[in-house]
Formats: sequence, C-alpha cells, structure tokens
Amino acid sequence: MSTPPAILAELSSYLPVALIVVMAVIFGVVNLVGTHLLGPKRRGERKEQTYESGMAPIGTARKRFNIRFYILAMTFLVFDVEIIFLYPWAVDFTQLEPMSSDATLFFGRILFFILTSIVAYVYAWKKGVFRWD
Amino acid sequence: MTSNHLWFLIPEAILLVGVVFTAITGLVRSTSIRQSTPVIAAIFVVASGVASVFVFSPDHLDTTAFLMPALGRWVGVITAAVGLVLILNSIGRVDRRLEQAIAAGRLRFDPLRAGRGEYYAFMLLSLAGLMLVCTANDLIWLFLALELTSLPTYVLVAMSRTNRLAQEAAMKYFFLGAMSAAIFLYGFALLYAATGTIEFDRMRYELQSQAANGGLGALAIGGLLLSLFGIGYKLAAAPLHLYAADVYEGASAPVTAFLGFVPKAAGVLAIMVLLVATGLSELMSSLPYPILIMLWVVAVLTMTLGNIGALLQRSVKRMLAYSSIAHSGYLLIGIIAGPGLGYTAVLFYLLAYGVGNTAAFSVLSSLERRGEELTSLEDLAGLRQRHPLMASVLAISSGSLLGFPPLLGFWGKLLLFIAGIQTGHLVLVIIAAVNSAISGWYYLKLVAVPIMASPTARSESVERGPSNWPRFAGVIMVIACLVLPVFLGWLVAESRDSARTAQAVRADSAQAEADAVQPSDDSGLFTALPPLKTALQSPAKR
Repeated sequence: MSTPPAILAELSSYLPVALIVVMAVIFGVVNLVGTHLLGPKRRGERKEQTYESGMAPIGTARKRFNIRFYILAMTFLVFDVEIIFLYPWAVDFTQLEPMSSDATLFFGRILFFILTSIVAYVYAWKKGVFRWD
Repeated sequence: MTSNHLWFLIPEAILLVGVVFTAITGLVRSTSIRQSTPVIAAIFVVASGVASVFVFSPDHLDTTAFLMPALGRWVGVITAAVGLVLILNSIGRVDRRLEQAIAAGRLRFDPLRAGRGEYYAFMLLSLAGLMLVCTANDLIWLFLALELTSLPTYVLVAMSRTNRLAQEAAMKYFFLGAMSAAIFLYGFALLYAATGTIEFDRMRYELQSQAANGGLGALAIGGLLLSLFGIGYKLAAAPLHLYAADVYEGASAPVTAFLGFVPKAAGVLAIMVLLVATGLSELMSSLPYPILIMLWVVAVLTMTLGNIGALLQRSVKRMLAYSSIAHSGYLLIGIIAGPGLGYTAVLFYLLAYGVGNTAAFSVLSSLERRGEELTSLEDLAGLRQRHPLMASVLAISSGSLLGFPPLLGFWGKLLLFIAGIQTGHLVLVIIAAVNSAISGWYYLKLVAVPIMASPTARSESVERGPSNWPRFAGVIMVIACLVLPVFLGWLVAESRDSARTAQAVRADSAQAEADAVQPSDDSGLFTALPPLKTALQSPAKR
C-alpha cells in the first residue's frame, strides 16, 4: 500500500489534541514531583487536619441530606431551563412585525411552551414539594 | 418533512397528554378521582391505538420517509391492546397499603407517599417509547426511543418502596441497563463513524455502496455488532439475560408483566429498524456474515439457556422470566430470516407472545396469599378447586406460550419456523423445535399443577386479590388466544403489510404501474402468505 489509509490522515488532524494531553500529563507530574522535592516539609497536628487552615471539621462527610433538597433542586431546574429558552425567543420576537400572523404564531408557541412548564409546576405543587414541615 | 413527521407522532402525543392527566389525578385529595386514574390511563391508551390506525392509513403513507412505513400501525395497535391489559392488571395493587390506611382513617392523604399517578404515567411513557421506535429515522431518535421505553421501567420496578427484593432488583436492572445503553450507544457512534451520517436513509445508501464495493467496512460491522449486542439487553438475550430472573422476581406481578412485553418488543423492533437501515429489504435479505453468526449464536444460546433455566425454577415468576428469555430466542429466528416473511413472523409472534404472557401474569396479579403475591409453584397446587376460572386462564395461556396447536402461540411459532426454513436456517429451526419440546416440561407443569395436583396447606390459603380487573384482563386475553386464530389470514396479512420495507413498497408500486393489474383482494391464509403455500406444497424445496 503506497498511500496511507484515509483513517490515518484523519487521525493526524487530532495531533494537537494528543499534544495537549501529553503536555497536561507532563505538567501534572512535574508539579507533583517538583513540590515533593523542593517544598519545605513541616509536619504537625494542625497540618494533618482536613482543612489545613485550622478550621475544625464537624461530623462525617457521608452525612444524609433531607430528600426535599433534591426535589426542590429538580423543580428549580425545570424553571431555570425554561427561562434560558425564553431569552432566544425574546430576541427573535422583537424582529417580527407586530400583530402579523407570524408574530401571533410565535407568541402562541411560547405560550404552549410555558403551559408545559405550568403543568410541571402544578404537579410539583400537588405533590407537596413546596411544603416544608 | 418535519411537519409530516409530526403527523405520525399523534398516537405518542395522545399518550403524553395522558401522562400529564394521570400524573395529576393520582395526587388529588378526593379518593374517587384518585381511583379513576387507571381508567384515564386506559382511555388514553385505547385512543392512541385507534389513532395509530388512522395515522398510518395507506393514503398518508405515500409521503413517509420511514424505513418500514406501516410498522407503526401494527405496533400501535398491539401496544395499545397489551398496554390496556397491563393497566388493568395493576388496578388495586398500586398504593394498596396507603389507600387502606386512608380508608380506615389511620392516615391522611399524603401526596409525597402516593405513587399511583406516577405509576400509570410511567407506564404510558414507556408505551410511548415503544411506539416511537417504529417511527425512528435516525440513530439519535432510535436511542432516545429505546431509553424512553427503559427509563420508566427502572422506576416502576423500584416503586414498591417497602419491598427489599424490589429495591435490589431495581438497582441491578438500572445499572446493567445503563451499561447496555452505553454499549449500543458506542455501536451507534461507530456506525456514524463508518457512514458519516445519523440518518437512516443516507446510512442505508452509504452502507449499500460499501457492500457493493467489497463488503462492509470494519467500522460498520463493529458498530452493528455492538449495537445489536447492547440492544439484546432489552430482549434479555444471552449473554445479557442474567438480570431477567432476579428483576422479574423482585418486581411486583403487574410490573413483571410489563417488563416481559414492552422493553422486549422495543428491542426487537429496534433491531429490525437498524438492520433495515443497513440496506436489508425483501429484495436483498442476506445479512453480513459476522452479524449472521453473532445473531445465530445469540439466538441459540438465548433459547437454550432460557428453557434450561426455566426447568430448574420453583418460583412461578422466575419460571416465566426464563420462559420470556426463551421467547426472545425464538423471536431472533425471525430477525435472522430477514425482511419479508421473517419480519412478518416476528410481528405476529409479538402479538401471540404478548397475549399469552400477559394472561399468565394476570393470574398472578389476581391472586394473593395473606396479602402477599404468590411465589412458588406450590401455591398454585389444586388451584382449580377454589379458583377454577384462574386455573383455566393459566392453563390456556401456558398452552399458548408452549405453542399448543389451536391457540395463538402455535401459529406464531409456525410462522417463525417456516420463515427460518424458507431462508435456509434449518439447523436453527431444529434447535428451536427441540427447545420448544423442552419448554413443554415446565409449561405443562403450569397446566397440571393447578388442575391435577391436590391442594396443599399453602395453596388452601390463596385468596382473590383486591380487584376483579386483573381476572377480567386474564379472561379477555385467553379469549383472544382462542378466537384470534380464526382471523389468522387477516392478522398475517396485516402484519405482513406492516413489516414491509420502504424499498419493497416502492418496487411493488413500480411493478403495479407496469402491470396495471389490481392485486387479489382475497386475504385467506394462503394468499396472504405465498411462501407458506409453497413451503407446504413442495417440502423438498429447501
């Protein structure tokens, strides 16, 4: 085979990526080894603690959280994502001619989109997500 | 194209509206509205089944770009029919303890503890996923449809929160399912790498030209192998069948019935769609060699391991779990036989298997022992004396699953075996027939133990379940097993029409224009199925 297979030619375009990966590895190793060799070594009770600054750690890291935190966070996500979608809509909406049929359609679509989120809101409300007792 | 594609999503849209309604009515304070949740779910399932008949009617199909244009009609209807029964099976079981406590005045209704709305909503979502597989026209669509089918089932298994076995089952099911999704997604990525497109139409063109120029490339073959292997998890096909017994045993009986049909059907249909996307059609139905070997080995392993596993079980649910693994093996025969007769047989078998399997699980859903589900075969001993109706439902449904002649399951197996023989896979069919004989041992146990054995102390305490709907569902399905064979010619014609690939449809319409002759309107078994006729007339022709 005189010419290299097409796949090799494609792979060669990934050369910069490979270079970055190699550099990242070298950077990490050099830093670790460097601090190990060059850094001062002072040991002590404070230094061995979780927070080296001297703040006393409280309790275990495997503490359980109330499930309500997660549920509330999920509900927040629904509306957060909805708002992100509203921005591009708002930008485009101003470009349309007022009261034209396109604008009405565009408006109706976003109303439908908001309606779907309202359904999610009603569901969460009924489910008692917002009750905190 | 997009607005056209939206038209074909009407059945799924109906199901999604149903999801919204069931999720909210399950949370209403009024008990009577809450109890109507399954009715609402059932109405929406029936509506989507009816809609899929109209949506996929012949005058709309001219404009589609689907690989198998009419697939959605057959699948929509059987999904709705089996889905309806699966919903009826669950009535009275969901949130049972909570509702009893509320009725007795011990508890006030707490929406955070109620799972009724979510249960039916997730069922509808999963059914929608199954229907979406049929209209898939690119890889991402197919992946999302498969995951939409599977993700709700993980939650359904985990929904019995107080049952430790169910929790364990859900964990196993979820993590192994995630792994299988990763495997077939990797396969999809390789297919994309091989063809440079995710659209099935262009992928088919690309792969066909590859095949014409010295065979499919290594990337395409590797991608297909990984995809089929990963999708095999949904079918519980060997070697990814190991989860099935534990998960089916841990889940409650209605959920197990659901797992036995919906993910399995989605997996089989996904394999069909994917293989058609590689250029397979009635005109060219030879699989690439590595794929053929892989499917062959998987089919043989699946049916053999499934049947041998079922022989060893004492728990009815585990036995049915292994039997469903074996049925996946039979279905793979149709997949190997390829488009045309093979896929017709697969679609027909999905109906026969769905009806038989859900009927068997209806029996388990409608009976209980001290408020717990029946587990071992002993619980069924002498069932005939106290619950004659359920004993006969179990007998007929296991007869159908075994393939006992006049019942629906027999015709399903017959079609699969004929398809296998027609395409020259005689050895495979012989192995399947031997397996069928092996399966007689445990299916006949399901017939004999309830009818002939004398009741034991355990089975004396078996009572009716909380609701009569599962009994009704079981009886309906058994009637279907008995009556549907009468309409065999029509059913086979319908499943054949649904299984046709776009290429065959195009070739046929070109042929019809050339001939300008109307095809015969007679839909008897022999005209519906010319290969069956030739197979019966000339057994020497192999």
